[in-house]
Amino acid sequence: MLVRFQVHRQTLDTASRFQTFDLEVDPGNTILDCLNRIKWEQDGSLAFRKNCRNTICGSCSMRINGRSALACKENVGSEVARLQSIATSAHTPLPEIPTMTIAPMGNMPVVKDLVVDMQSFWNNLEAVDPYVSTSARQIPEREFLQSPEERDRLNQVGNCILCGACYSECNAREVNPNFVGPHALAKAYRTLADSRDAQTDSRLDRYSEGTEGVWGCTRCSYCDSVCPMEVAPMEQIGNIKQSILDRASSTPVQEAPRPIRHRQVLIDLVKEGGWIDERKFGLRVVSNSFRDLRGLASLGPLGLRMLAKGKFPLSFEPSEGVEEVRSLIEAVKAKESRE
Amino acid sequence: MTLKYAYFPGCVAQGACRELHWSTQALTQALGIELVELKKASCCGSGTFKEDSQLLEDTVNARNIALAESLKLPLLTHCSTCQGVIGHVDERLKEAQEQRPEYLEQINGLLQQQGCSPYQGSTEVKHLLWALVGDFGLEALQARVTRQLSGLKCAAFYGCYLLRSQHHLPFDDPHSPESMENVFRAIGATPIYYRGRTQCCGWPLSSYATEQSFQMAGGHIQEAIAAGADCIVTPCPLCHLNLDSRQPEVEQVIGQKLGLPVLHLPQLVALALGISPKQLGLDRHVVSTLPVLDKLGVPSRA
Repeated sequence: MLVRFQVHRQTLDTASRFQTFDLEVDPGNTILDCLNRIKWEQDGSLAFRKNCRNTICGSCSMRINGRSALACKENVGSEVARLQSIATSAHTPLPEIPTMTIAPMGNMPVVKDLVVDMQSFWNNLEAVDPYVSTSARQIPEREFLQSPEERDRLNQVGNCILCGACYSECNAREVNPNFVGPHALAKAYRTLADSRDAQTDSRLDRYSEGTEGVWGCTRCSYCDSVCPMEVAPMEQIGNIKQSILDRASSTPVQEAPRPIRHRQVLIDLVKEGGWIDERKFGLRVVSNSFRDLRGLASLGPLGLRMLAKGKFPLSFEPSEGVEEVRSLIEAVKAKESRE
Repeated sequence: MTLKYAYFPGCVAQGACRELHWSTQALTQALGIELVELKKASCCGSGTFKEDSQLLEDTVNARNIALAESLKLPLLTHCSTCQGVIGHVDERLKEAQEQRPEYLEQINGLLQQQGCSPYQGSTEVKHLLWALVGDFGLEALQARVTRQLSGLKCAAFYGCYLLRSQHHLPFDDPHSPESMENVFRAIGATPIYYRGRTQCCGWPLSSYATEQSFQMAGGHIQEAIAAGADCIVTPCPLCHLNLDSRQPEVEQVIGQKLGLPVLHLPQLVALALGISPKQLGLDRHVVSTLPVLDKLGVPSRA
């Protein structure tokens, strides 16, 4: 079949443009096969990263038809089918020649064409200290033993091939260059979950700091939706948050940092009203129940604006099921603390 | 046959976005869709329960779904976040029925101990957008339009949870959705495409990383304006809060005036059915919706 490729071209000192290449291909050809043929048969100056051709090395991540994916994993047939279903749902006819749009990953500067500078990606990985530390343990005579169950906890996260697809789409990274990113936090969880690691507490402190770590995640789910290895980085970020919240559960809510207070107050309010009373949410989380005066002051303009527009909720109606919900949440909590 | 749903109002439509509740009521009444409000339901946890524990999120929402099941009705949401959370719990628990029955037994045990009905996996969780597109149908909707929204350029803002929380979406590709744009076309409006339409509004960060949160919102609003939008339309009240109610602060952070109205999905559709702006609470927005009404030639007090 004849397929058209619109490929992003750019050098360090030129503006980006899209160049068109037409290619006769089989539906089973991968996007990487096609890019290779473009390079070998039509334009040798096209730059892209590649290596294993087999979803192992993670080199060929790029934006294929609007989302980051591995060029060696996606094939022409499934991409055409995807474009077709999008066009059908939009009631727009597909172009006569199916057209693939190939662009470099996001959140990283372009070096040339489809090649990006991944330095921040690697630096951020390093920042979470992704190495199992056995320093606090006595060195055993032979080896650190791990049960099959303990090893199994690492399977999903261990599948990460550091391709950068998640980092490329991360909405939080886009506005916060200090956020280490989903790949780094997935690896952080892999280290934390390892039964041989002896630095749980210091890791939780570090991953909980500011918005560089887990609290920088905005829960957009882009990472989970593009990961070619089903590592589900956002799920792993959630797992780290669980450990942090577990550890903080004995700390009084007013002493907790704001992101943790946000989570604790939300559960408290659901227990109180079934639904969330947004007025109390703002006061307890942002102003820390009037203890944080700057926080309180920051709520002022919002509150006044909402009042002026009649948007401020002057009353709150608890759910008719509030008692049931409260006892249900308490029963779940009791069950979990027994386990 | 009359369409009938168990209506899950959610927190925000009962609090800072009551105009969403009113407009969903007005729209469904006008279309002859019957809603039975789930008065005993509770907050879905907005993704935060899960950060505390998966069991908490699953159990509380199993109860919400079971409330709809006992009415033998599909559960209707009108918030992307509620939809993503409850819809995904429904997916997880239906999967557990097949593959991990002991997990479901644990949840149903907790529910029954507290006198709640058990989860059966017998219903569906649907966003109002999907009910319009899939159940009511866009052709039928088109036939009901009394006020074509011709010339109105609408930029959809989907909300992350609607697109990427559930593993299976009934109509959309999570990275290139079209449902909202199809609704716009059906009521005579013109869809505007821009990158931000599938991205995060920044709300989850707004309580503690406001600068980042507002930068996110600001970037999307700027893009929508640059693409020629008259308004943003969202199926998510949390996105609405960050894009509309906090737009003055967003303007401060990015150092640029914006002033782009942000409508709730049912407000826009109901306008096309001739329902009055007042009834839809269009005067309750932080960013004035008058430019939209002016463009449509609709008197704001009507």
